[in-house]
Amino acid sequence: MKILALFTIFVLIFGTTSTSLVSDAYAQKNTKILLDIATQADTQILNQLDRSYGDLVPSDIQTLYEKGHAAVESLENSLPDNVEQAREDFLAAMKSFMEITRMISEPATEAKLTTSSDTSDRDLKSELNRLHKYFQSLKTIFQKHNMETDFSEIERLFVLAYEQINSGGIEEITTTFHQLESLIHIKNQEIREYSSNSSSDRIIEFALKQLKRIQTILEDPSIDTSTPEFENANSLIAEIKILISEDNISVAKEKFGELNKIMKIIKRSTVE
Amino acid sequence: MNPEIVPIHRKEFLREDGMLFVRTDGILDTMAKIPLLVASMIIVAAVMPIQSSFSSPRILDLIIYPDGSTHVSSEIDVDPLVTDFELDLFGSTIDNFVVVNENGFLLTTDVLGNSALVETFGSSVITVDYDIHDLVSKQGRVWTFSLDAPSDFTLLLPKNSAIVGMTNLPINMEIINDQNQLTLSAGEAEINYLFGTIPNIPDPTIPNIPDPTIPNIPDPTIPVDPTSQSDNLTYAIIGGVTVAAVMGVVAIIRIKQKTIKPIHDQQTVQKTETIDTETIDTETIFKLKPDLREDDKEIVRFISNNGGQVLESELRKKFLQPRTTMWRAVKRLERNGVVEIEKKDLQNLVKLRKNMEEEK
Repeated sequence: MKILALFTIFVLIFGTTSTSLVSDAYAQKNTKILLDIATQADTQILNQLDRSYGDLVPSDIQTLYEKGHAAVESLENSLPDNVEQAREDFLAAMKSFMEITRMISEPATEAKLTTSSDTSDRDLKSELNRLHKYFQSLKTIFQKHNMETDFSEIERLFVLAYEQINSGGIEEITTTFHQLESLIHIKNQEIREYSSNSSSDRIIEFALKQLKRIQTILEDPSIDTSTPEFENANSLIAEIKILISEDNISVAKEKFGELNKIMKIIKRSTVE
Repeated sequence: MNPEIVPIHRKEFLREDGMLFVRTDGILDTMAKIPLLVASMIIVAAVMPIQSSFSSPRILDLIIYPDGSTHVSSEIDVDPLVTDFELDLFGSTIDNFVVVNENGFLLTTDVLGNSALVETFGSSVITVDYDIHDLVSKQGRVWTFSLDAPSDFTLLLPKNSAIVGMTNLPINMEIINDQNQLTLSAGEAEINYLFGTIPNIPDPTIPNIPDPTIPNIPDPTIPVDPTSQSDNLTYAIIGGVTVAAVMGVVAIIRIKQKTIKPIHDQQTVQKTETIDTETIDTETIFKLKPDLREDDKEIVRFISNNGGQVLESELRKKFLQPRTTMWRAVKRLERNGVVEIEKKDLQNLVKLRKNMEEEK
């Protein structure tokens, strides 16, 4: 039994320390990642300085760069043992590089990105990728609802659009893109209409279940039945039931919201 | 003649000085059942690593497209007892907004400015997908992503982009088909990136995952399988015992290898130097490249005297030049076809080119 107890203690100690061992392993990996990012940033900044200033790097930027580069070198030296120092070095290096990028950027060209209608400024591949992702989401929803629909034309147009992007035909791709948007819009309307109809059943089921739950709460002897909220809650329950039977879901939803607010007041006063 | 009545058991165990001694032998047997104790400890020990691998249930994945638009995908726990859920969006310029519940059914939504009202009606988990144009801005050539994230999140940067500044420590980084995917902590984050003049160098230690943006390829917004991390933990625990047993042997072997390695390295360097002395002499280089600057010629002479190759850091030390100045000089010589630059242990190794005459 003593051996078993000793074994258990060993397991307990190992169980406790193993997590820290694994954490250390993760930390080691993370610090390697920090060095990769910092080294890449260092090289990119050098290229930017070379491109922007050639031989005439302003002294303030030069000082910042030296500071950032020193931090990268220190980061490299800190690895793999001094993780805390490595983290500090990483943040110091990236802070310096960030300041440099701000200084070398042209303030005049600052602009928030919006979807541009000007074709020359558009990144059509990005737009097409986004549209394709949206289409995939809709397609999955169609499948979840077991709705049979034909996607072959949309899929054909996507293949065509990617081919056109590779061949560089701006006008052709714009036309195909509009066709795709139009077809996907139709599918979107289709699924939203279907979903709206099918959600009525879900909403009714939810509402009836919740009304039952609320009624149980109201029947609790601790509830003060003399309050106006109690009266209101009961009358709203009756009203919602009628609205549901009349299939007036939108008004029932509003009344349900009101009922929830009243129930919160009732619960609060019961607790007090 | 009234003898003090002393209970027999007290009389038996109390010593003359009146001190109370308690027997500890067998206390475990009498106060607790050892098998029960052992079983409890084993369960605690086994559960501890698993508990530590649990993560936040909320998922937030972002993909930045090359034009700066961002795809947001998140999974959020909602109260199943309420009719709707007000969702805070990361901005107001939203496209392709889709919300589904845990069964994959489309939910009715109403987007108003920076928030959306989602009719949940009994759903406990919702998945939200949308594209947004407010998270990335551009200044000159530099793109800036900024977000105050409500939870830890992953961020997939565009292809050929290079990070040049960031405010936070990343939790993790993966390469997904030459794209950097960072995992970042909750809170404010700002990342500067630009489209690099040099491609990302894939790190063999970082897993490479297929391109998410190309059609018919698995969706990148699907969260990384959480079991993979717990698998790692399990493997680490199982492997730990074995590793500990052989660690000593490995350590000895490594120490022996370390003592041997430098000899090989020296031999390699000597061989390289022998080969590099065969490079063309500096005067021939200057004849072939008459437009070289005087300071560049000095660098060439130094490299030539050093066996035809030298680390850039050595050049800086020799000529007492700042890093940027020396880098430009070396790049100038590279453009002129005089030297070639190789990476060696994260440093630049500058070598005189051997085939200059042939090119000429």
